Amino acid sequence: MSLLREDLGWAGFILAVAAFFGILQHWTLVQVSLRGELPRHLEESRAQRRAVQFQGVKTVSLDQAHTLWQGGALFLDAREAQEFREIHVPGALNLPPEVLEKEGERALTGVPKDRAIVVYCGQAACDAALKVAEGLQQRGYTQVQAFLGGFQAWDEAGFPAETSQ
Amino acid sequence: MARRLNWMIPRLLEASLGAIFVYAGLQKHWRPEEFAEAILAYRLLPPGLAGLAAAVLPWVELCPGALLLLGFKKRSCLLLLGLLSGVFMAVLLLTLARGLKIDCGCGLFFQRQVGLAAVLEDGLFLAAAAALYWWELKPVARGQ
Repeated sequence: MSLLREDLGWAGFILAVAAFFGILQHWTLVQVSLRGELPRHLEESRAQRRAVQFQGVKTVSLDQAHTLWQGGALFLDAREAQEFREIHVPGALNLPPEVLEKEGERALTGVPKDRAIVVYCGQAACDAALKVAEGLQQRGYTQVQAFLGGFQAWDEAGFPAETSQ
Repeated sequence: MARRLNWMIPRLLEASLGAIFVYAGLQKHWRPEEFAEAILAYRLLPPGLAGLAAAVLPWVELCPGALLLLGFKKRSCLLLLGLLSGVFMAVLLLTLARGLKIDCGCGLFFQRQVGLAAVLEDGLFLAAAAALYWWELKPVARGQ
């Protein structure tokens, strides 16, 4: 019993040291969080990271995406197959980044390179849509745009959805 | 031979467990904002605490993981890693029960969603930490 108490004591000490170093290392993040500004801070840092990581990938707003859908643009759902099957934008095809990596251009056989394409994923925080859009641009598709609000924004706006189950 | 294996297997397991937690901790420490987003996605902590958790948790993986590798206070490190795995297991099961389809934010090798694979992986860490703690207790119990 005293052995366990000793182990727990040291575990508590290591935990305290770890917490101290963590707070010290990320003091800015902790301050932002305690001020209640974390969501805005994350949004800004996400936008900065994406501007560098996915330079050259065009994006569209929710309204623009809806207009493009009404105009017959091809919608690509970059989420995993199971999520896609549950619910997706009507007419969309499922193309997660791993499938595009594996299959390359075969994943979109028959789709003209200049066809208007909109790629989306689950919600604003996911990068899958940008990955797929970038991958398609690299493979010569010229009218590719990523819809960053994702299916969550589409669904919350009350736009149509369908299921494959 | 059997004696040597008896000594080697726990050492290898300890080194692997320590290295895995050091790696996972570093991945999160290097990308604190992405980890904070992963924490927020679980919808368990308010934004006011999610940033604090994103700052502290990577170091709670990193410190005991590194100390375990170095062989310092191994039982206490194993207790901490076991506790961490246990709490994360509860979070995973709760998330599965709520039907949230989110990235697990595990920080190991590749991105994946909360699901059976993440539960099994975490269960493995929990079992390894418990088994190693018991193993480390044995010589003490024998009075060695």
